[in-house]
Amino acid sequence: MPVPDLFRAMMKEEWRMHSTIFGSLGFALFPAVIAVFAFFGALTLPIFADVFPYDVVALLIHTLFMLMGVMVGSFGLMGREFMNRRFGQASLIAYASRSLPVSERRIFAAFLVKDTVYYILLYVLPFAAGFTAATPFTGLDPALGLLAFVSLALAFLLGLSAVCFLSTLYARSVALLAGTAAVLAVAAIAAFRLGAITVSAVLPPYAFFLDPAAEPLALSLLLILVPAAVSVLFVTVDYPDRTKRFTNRLDPLAGRLRGLGSAHFIAKDALDLLRSEGGAGKVIFSFLLPLGLVWVCLQVLIRFIPGVDPLVVFAVLLGVISATIYNWLTEFDSFTSYTFLPVEISEVIDAKLKSYALANLLPLGVLVLAAATSGGAGTFLPALAAFASVSAYTLAVTVYLTGLHPNVMLYHAWVFLRYLLAISPALLLLIFASIVDPAYAALSLLLVAPAAFLLARARTRWQAWEMPTY
Amino acid sequence: MRQMIEATELTKNYGNVTAVNRVSFSVTEGELFGLLGPNGSGKTTMIRMLTGQIPPTAGSARVMGLDPANDPIGVRGLVGIIPEQETPPSFLTAEEYLHFVAGIRNLDSVDERCDRWFDLLEFRDKRDVLCKDLSRGTRQKLMFAQAFLHEPRLALIDEPLINLDPIMQRTVKDFLTGYVQGGGTVFISTHILEIAEEICDRIGIIHNGRLLHSGPVEDLVATGRHLESFFLDLVRGDAGA
Repeated sequence: MPVPDLFRAMMKEEWRMHSTIFGSLGFALFPAVIAVFAFFGALTLPIFADVFPYDVVALLIHTLFMLMGVMVGSFGLMGREFMNRRFGQASLIAYASRSLPVSERRIFAAFLVKDTVYYILLYVLPFAAGFTAATPFTGLDPALGLLAFVSLALAFLLGLSAVCFLSTLYARSVALLAGTAAVLAVAAIAAFRLGAITVSAVLPPYAFFLDPAAEPLALSLLLILVPAAVSVLFVTVDYPDRTKRFTNRLDPLAGRLRGLGSAHFIAKDALDLLRSEGGAGKVIFSFLLPLGLVWVCLQVLIRFIPGVDPLVVFAVLLGVISATIYNWLTEFDSFTSYTFLPVEISEVIDAKLKSYALANLLPLGVLVLAAATSGGAGTFLPALAAFASVSAYTLAVTVYLTGLHPNVMLYHAWVFLRYLLAISPALLLLIFASIVDPAYAALSLLLVAPAAFLLARARTRWQAWEMPTY
Repeated sequence: MRQMIEATELTKNYGNVTAVNRVSFSVTEGELFGLLGPNGSGKTTMIRMLTGQIPPTAGSARVMGLDPANDPIGVRGLVGIIPEQETPPSFLTAEEYLHFVAGIRNLDSVDERCDRWFDLLEFRDKRDVLCKDLSRGTRQKLMFAQAFLHEPRLALIDEPLINLDPIMQRTVKDFLTGYVQGGGTVFISTHILEIAEEICDRIGIIHNGRLLHSGPVEDLVATGRHLESFFLDLVRGDAGA
């Protein structure tokens, strides 16, 4: 089977997989949501230009797209477990070299081409389009939109090819992967220390965006094509057996949590988090990174709007961001895992809420730390009320709209829009009120009632939900 | 004898597709009943309705005296279920998964219960391996163990021998036969006719959602016919009708 035919089949497969989850229209609208997001994001650039110069923003966005490439590559290569839990026994062309008369190399090449085309059309193009559409209002050169499209596509591909390269090394030998990673890390640290290397040199697509010359473009292509070619040439699906063994940690953990009820479910959530790829570190990293960014942005905001209490506004945003912990708690779970056991779906949801409450000790710690270090102890109580209420409300909206599947359902344009419409007005009102007087942040407690209502509705809604069989 | 399963005019529609069409049958205590049918004939939908996983569009059922549509948790608390597709949670070990199920079912003496199944199905050496790293065969053994962990009086099994090697198939068949002789009741759905011919007391044949035949296996044997030819004649005749 020639690569172009495989490519076409994989493109159809990818589309059908997504449209099965979200519905064709729902998924087709997702690029529009990205474009709108990029448009409004670009409009704020001049406001933050003082503290976030354009080149810093460009660096962040290029890094983000590179990480997206890493994520897409990781999912394609290691996402079978995730898909199995969502759809039963997932069977994708990418895993079919043992059953089809097509070489692993050819399948993998087609897989790379498919991911390149598919995700550039899905993510990069709409992002660049939204950015370009905003240029008349931001005073930026519209040609930057085209440049951003090319450089962001390169950044995405850099991440994709790097993860493919590293996974091929992993499949061949863990020692080879560890050795390569160690050499690269030591070389990078030494080069930075000696001043022989700059951020632009490490991320040539970003350098190309700053200066669209032939040299960074060639370097970008080199860093994309060589690892990609090596990974295609040496790809193997015969992964060495790295089965891990664990003593029974469920019962001791459940024993300690017995007082909370649903102890076995909470213990299972904890083990899912700790043992899945990235461990607890992925939660902390994905959580603390945006929080750091929020804190810096707030310091800027204070200059523009006198009277803003950064701790209260931070607490509101902390409440929204903390709700993403629910996504981690549900990543490997599905209602179908429980339909043959004597357990109500509402009980599963309740257990998730308890796990969520426990995990929220982390953002609570962040809030306490922020209050202690920023001298905001005077507004700590309204900030605490705002954090707890917003977190509960955002969680309730998420559970109502997505059940146990926020990681996939929030990509549905219609669901995402409802999510935004449910959260944004409350959030903006609360921030506005707290600007007038930080004590008004306590009004956030009014969100507790709709949160309780939505959670009650979510229980009955998902109880009646029938998982389609595939 | 007590009726463990009674289905009356049970029907399930998915949109315009009728997966199960007015099916009535019963299974008596101590029976091993096999629902046979080609792929997509409605077997899995039938098990899902009988265990309250999905509500019927029409008709009714009683399972151990309970209505699965109104009391699905009650039914699932009494019976053991092995679904066809579901796999155990990825990041629990085999032993942890059994303890998880035991926790849901409020069972005591969990270690002893687990040990029995590790030994019977010969996967003690895999007890500390994450479920995601287990072979399909071992996952099926684990699903078997979870279904019988609470020693139910009735088990509903979708494709009981799937992914098991011939030695383990023999073990499972012997277990099911002994379980029924001890007063237990088993409802299996399968498209593998040899299983039904070998271990079932009674069979039902379903095609395109309709029950075409229901009766004791020994009646069939008495006529001198093999189940395979009987099944093929029936299904092909229905398809041509």
